[in-house]
Amino acid sequence: MLKKFLILIGLSLGLGVFTKGIGLSAHQALAIAIFSASILGTLFFWDFRLGFAFLGTSILLFTKTIDLEHVIEFASLDVILFLIGMMVIVALLKESGFFAWIVQLILMIRRLNGPKFVVIISIVSALLSTMTSEVVSIIFMVAAVLEICDYFEVNAVPFIIISVLATNIGSAATVLGNPIGILIATKAGLSFEDFIIKAFPLAMVCLIAGIMVVMVWYRKAIAELSVKMKEVGANEILISLISVPPGKNLKISLAVFAVTLCFISLHHRFELLWQLAPNTILLTAPLFSSGVIMIWKWQKAREYIEKDVEWWTLLFFMLLFAQAGTLKYTGATDVLASQIASAAGHSLTSLIGIVLWVSTIGSSILDNVVLVAAFIPVIQSFQGLNMNLEPLWWALLFGGCLGGNITLIGSTANIVALGIIEKEKNIKVSFLQWFGIGLTVGVITTCIVWFLLSVLPFYR
Amino acid sequence: MKIKEVMVKDVVSIKPQENAYAAWEILTNMQISGLPVINAEGKLVGMFTEKEILAHMLPSYIEKVGKFIYKENPKSTRNKFLEFKSMAVSQLMRREVVTTTEDATLCEVARIMLTQKARRMPVLDKSGTVVGMIARCDVLKALAGEFQE
Repeated sequence: MLKKFLILIGLSLGLGVFTKGIGLSAHQALAIAIFSASILGTLFFWDFRLGFAFLGTSILLFTKTIDLEHVIEFASLDVILFLIGMMVIVALLKESGFFAWIVQLILMIRRLNGPKFVVIISIVSALLSTMTSEVVSIIFMVAAVLEICDYFEVNAVPFIIISVLATNIGSAATVLGNPIGILIATKAGLSFEDFIIKAFPLAMVCLIAGIMVVMVWYRKAIAELSVKMKEVGANEILISLISVPPGKNLKISLAVFAVTLCFISLHHRFELLWQLAPNTILLTAPLFSSGVIMIWKWQKAREYIEKDVEWWTLLFFMLLFAQAGTLKYTGATDVLASQIASAAGHSLTSLIGIVLWVSTIGSSILDNVVLVAAFIPVIQSFQGLNMNLEPLWWALLFGGCLGGNITLIGSTANIVALGIIEKEKNIKVSFLQWFGIGLTVGVITTCIVWFLLSVLPFYR
Repeated sequence: MKIKEVMVKDVVSIKPQENAYAAWEILTNMQISGLPVINAEGKLVGMFTEKEILAHMLPSYIEKVGKFIYKENPKSTRNKFLEFKSMAVSQLMRREVVTTTEDATLCEVARIMLTQKARRMPVLDKSGTVVGMIARCDVLKALAGEFQE
């Protein structure tokens, strides 16, 4: 513990001194040192990350590196309110049985065989994460996969890994899939429609490639499942294992969710129609719906806000965004952006490669929100280079999501799924057991994105 | 009145290495829901309760999935029951135990029981050794007795 703490302090201070030495101002060096301490804090001391964020932001304010007004501006309240709204909607969906209903639908699929099962869980995992976020969707997918694997008495680990890989890929497809989606959308001025037109097809190509890779990688496990499914026969008990009361609650909850999704997906059109500022409807749709939910379920409103909204994570995000904003405020990211642009020879193709691969590798070991928060002001600083920045935003989005597949700590979905396997099956998936398939899928899908972003005029 | 005057002094306990299924049979025979787990040094190391056994039988993610009804018993529950038969008490016991001291007042114990949601609590002496057990009904009976006098 003490050793890790000394490494954190040493590296952060060292980076600060080094950047000061190469010509950055004292405030720029301090902003870099504190932001790197927050990054290292998430790596070494996950449980202390909010404490580090509080301390770091206090130091930035105390040393006049940034003022309070800008801390509030950079804290991205718009993104935080969007996430709060979505968390309340997800809480209602959970309570009304929507997710159990999805699990039930998967359990009810008839005439299963190994390959069909893999394709179904991959597609459902990816689609569910595009609508409800990766961390929410993975719990229900793991629940369904475990029940099916238990029923047919096969090892569930390969199928849960497949579901997690698909979940992470799917999380790049829309604004809702991952917190970095909404973060990038608000900072880059991208709409949900942009995501559907540009990110969704790219994610689907990656998903198809991912399914092909896992079909080969886990061919023995898939063949064994096919044999067991033939032996055991029809899954009658699975089909009637659980039921969800088809009450009024579920129907109304689904209607609220559908209307919210409708407004989120068409927000750009509505904003044009009503002459609203970009992303106004995108950000207010979940807030409006959660307001309706809290009036409808007024007895539970406090519970939704106090228990279902992850304040710990959201507060960390706010302070992290403020610290990343300080890099921009002090001009540190302008210096960094100019260095990166020079190294890339001011070529957009090279910059796409740099942003994509740095974010892929970085998010394989770091929380992708930390990495993306750091990268956003750098990409914003490229604005002076007179180039179209949009491909760089897609590179950042896909790097942040696909990198999560590489290691078992790469994304929250991986950690949640592996935690359940350990608790339920007493199986500890080793780093290497994950790394083999994770690296293969991660590298192949990132190469596909790299190629398509660099070559297709559609993305330039 | 102090808790040492009303607690059950004849404490039945189990050891962490004991078989969980055998320990559950003790609970069933005694018609109680839990027992303290005490190690070779005589220190309290956990509580073994029916709630922990049930929590082991059902999936750990059950609360996160939301509202649904089990229409059949899943195979995983049967497998976990079979697994339970060969498990040790230490693998299932709850390690964070709410305790009280023998000099605590009735209202203090009632307060702990309400705020910590405890039904039965081990009573410790100054050296940390379990010297008794106190249940909600014991506290209520003692309070009623004291105030009726």
